[in-house]
Amino acid sequence: MAALLEVTDLKVEFSTRYGDVTALDGVSFSLDEGETLGVVGESGCGKSITALAVMGLIPAPPGRISAGSIRFQGEELVGAREGRLRRLRGRDIGMIFQEPMTSLNPVFRVGDQIAEAILLHQDVSRTEAAKRAIELMKTVGIPEPASRARAYPHELSGGMRQRVMIAMAISCRPKVLIADEPTTALDVTVQAQIFDLMRQIQEDYGVAIIMITHDMGAIAEMADRVAVMYAGRMIEEGRADAILDHAGHPYTQGLIACIPALDPEVAAADRPPPLAEIPGIVPPLHLLGKGCAFAARCDRAFAACTDMPALKGGPHAVACHAHEPQQQPTAGGA
Amino acid sequence: MTDTLLDVRGLSVRFAMPRARPFAPRRYLHAVREVSFSLRRGRTLGLVGESGSGKTTTAMAAIRLVSPWQGSVLFEGQDLLRLTPEQMRLQRRNLQVIFQDPYSALNPRDRVGAIVREPLDLLEIGTPDSRTERVAELFSLVGLRADQMALFPHQFSGGQRQRISIARALATNPGLIVCDEPVSALDVAIQAQILNLLRRLQDELGLSYLFISHDLGVVQFLCDDVAVMYLGQIVEYASRQSLFATPRHPYTRALLDSAPSLERRKSAGYRREAVVSGDPPSPVNIPPGCAFAGRCPKAAALCRQTAPILQGPQGQAVACHFPA
Repeated sequence: MAALLEVTDLKVEFSTRYGDVTALDGVSFSLDEGETLGVVGESGCGKSITALAVMGLIPAPPGRISAGSIRFQGEELVGAREGRLRRLRGRDIGMIFQEPMTSLNPVFRVGDQIAEAILLHQDVSRTEAAKRAIELMKTVGIPEPASRARAYPHELSGGMRQRVMIAMAISCRPKVLIADEPTTALDVTVQAQIFDLMRQIQEDYGVAIIMITHDMGAIAEMADRVAVMYAGRMIEEGRADAILDHAGHPYTQGLIACIPALDPEVAAADRPPPLAEIPGIVPPLHLLGKGCAFAARCDRAFAACTDMPALKGGPHAVACHAHEPQQQPTAGGA
Repeated sequence: MTDTLLDVRGLSVRFAMPRARPFAPRRYLHAVREVSFSLRRGRTLGLVGESGSGKTTTAMAAIRLVSPWQGSVLFEGQDLLRLTPEQMRLQRRNLQVIFQDPYSALNPRDRVGAIVREPLDLLEIGTPDSRTERVAELFSLVGLRADQMALFPHQFSGGQRQRISIARALATNPGLIVCDEPVSALDVAIQAQILNLLRRLQDELGLSYLFISHDLGVVQFLCDDVAVMYLGQIVEYASRQSLFATPRHPYTRALLDSAPSLERRKSAGYRREAVVSGDPPSPVNIPPGCAFAGRCPKAAALCRQTAPILQGPQGQAVACHFPA
C-alpha cells in the first residue's frame, strides 16, 4: 500500500547573513493512514521546518526547498501551485500549533473562526457552518459549546483554546494532522486531556498524525513510530518501542538518559544521583562541517565520524558509524 | 528549629481588580491564601502547581518582591515584612532570584560581565577591584570562561544565559535563592546540565533554594520537601520521599498521573485511568469548600461546603476530607 504521505530526501535551505544555511538535509519519512509519527529533537534541529515544508509554508524568501519530494496521496507537493496547496491546507492536511493564543485571531469569536475554516473548504451556508462549529466544539470536549462559541480567545483558558484549534483543524476531516508541540504551553493535567482527545480523534476519524515534540514522554504516549532529528538531519527512525528501549544513536540514548523521570528509586533516595548529561550544545547550522554533527559531543566518536553517516538499518534505522545493528530485538521491538 | 532559614506563616496575597463601575465595591483576586511553610538551611523546598496556582506569587511575596496582604515572613528570625525600605535593600544581598526565561532576564545592552557585577555594585560589596575578581570567579563557578565576560547576552545559548543568571544570583553570596522555573525554557539535554549545576552549587556553597516548578521529575531530582499548590493554597506538604511514594491529595495523584512518562506506551494500549477534567476555578470567585472539589473524582457534598484544612503528621500534611 502506498503511504499517505511520503517525504524523500527533503532539503531546505535558508539564505542568511552567514550565507546559505541548510536547515534540513536528506530528510525522508513516510506516514500511513491512522498512524502517529513522532518527530523529536531539541530546538533548532529542524522539526518545525519539516512540518512547515509539508504544509508548503516555508517562508520564501529567505527559505526554499532545494531538493527532494513530498508526495501526498501520490501527488507531488514540492513545486505545486500555491492555489493547490491552499486547497489542501486545512482540508486534507490540518495543523495545530504550539501557542493557541497567537494562532487564534483575538478580535473574532472562536465559533466564527471555526466556521470560517468550514466555509473556506466546504460548500455550506453560514448558518450550517455555525451549527457545525458548535458540534465540533462539543466533539473536542468544550462544555456549553453554544455559549462558548460566542467567546473571544482571551476569554478561554489555554486548554480550551487548544481545543478550539483542534476543532478547527479537524473541521474538514483532514487525512493528516500536523501537531507542532501542541501541549508545550499547557499544564500537565491539561496536556493529558489534550493527548487523550487527540488519540480519541485518531480512533474516530482515522487521521494520521505527525506529532512534533521535544518530550520523550509525549512520544511514548502518542507515537507509533519515531524520527529523531539533530541539526537538520534524521539520525534515527523506527518503532517507538524500539527507540525508547533500544536507542541506537548516542544522541538518542543521551536524550532519553538525561530526562529527570519519575522513578520510585530516585524518589526514595536520600540524595538522587546526578542526571546524565550530553555535554556541549547543538552547533549553529552555519558552522556544520562535513562530518557527523554530533561528533563533537559524542563520547563514541572516532576517525570515521568526520564523514557523514547515512541513515541505514531496516525498520530501525540509525545514522551512526559507531552503531552496530547486530541486535535486532525480536521481542518487544519491530 | 535552629536550622530554619525561612519561615513563612499565614501568607496571603491579593490583587485589586478594576472596579466594574465607579463606586462599585472593589473585588480582589486572591492569588495566595494563608500559606505557611518553612525552609531549612542548605535544603530545597519545591513549590509545585499549575499555572495560576500562586506558586510564583508565593515565592515572590516571601522575598517581598510582591507585597503580601497578610502574614509574616521570618528570614533568619527577622520579619522581612516589617523592615524599612533601606533595611530591606540591605537584606536583598541574602535573597536572590533565578528567573524562568533567560532571554528576558538579561539586559541585551549590557555585557554579561557587567550584568553579573551589577548586584555587587548596587549593594556596594567589596572594592571595585575585588568585584572584578569575584565576577571572574563566578564565571568559572558556573562553567563559563572568564574571557566571555565582555560578550553580550545574544552571543550565548539559552543554557549559557541561564548560567549567567545563576552567576548573577550567586554574586552577593546569598543564603536563599528563589528559582522560578529555571529550566522549563531549556531543552532537556541542557536542562540536565543546569539541574546538575544547581545541585553542585548547593553542595559546595550550602545554598537554600525555594524552587518553583511544574515538572514533577525535576522536583523529584532536586527538592527535599514539596508543597503542592492549588488555587493559592497548599494542598499537600510533604517530604519528597513520602510525596512520591504515597501521594495523599487527589490533586497530587492527578499531577503524578498526568506527568509525561516513558512507561506509558501507546503500543501497550496505555489508557489513563482518571484524568482530572476541566480547569481550576477563578481566583476572583473562590468557591466555598474545597477549591479542587469541582474537578475531584472523590468529591462529596462535604467537600463543596467546608474547606479542608492542611493537617497531618509532620512530613506529610494534606488538605483533604478524604485523603488517600
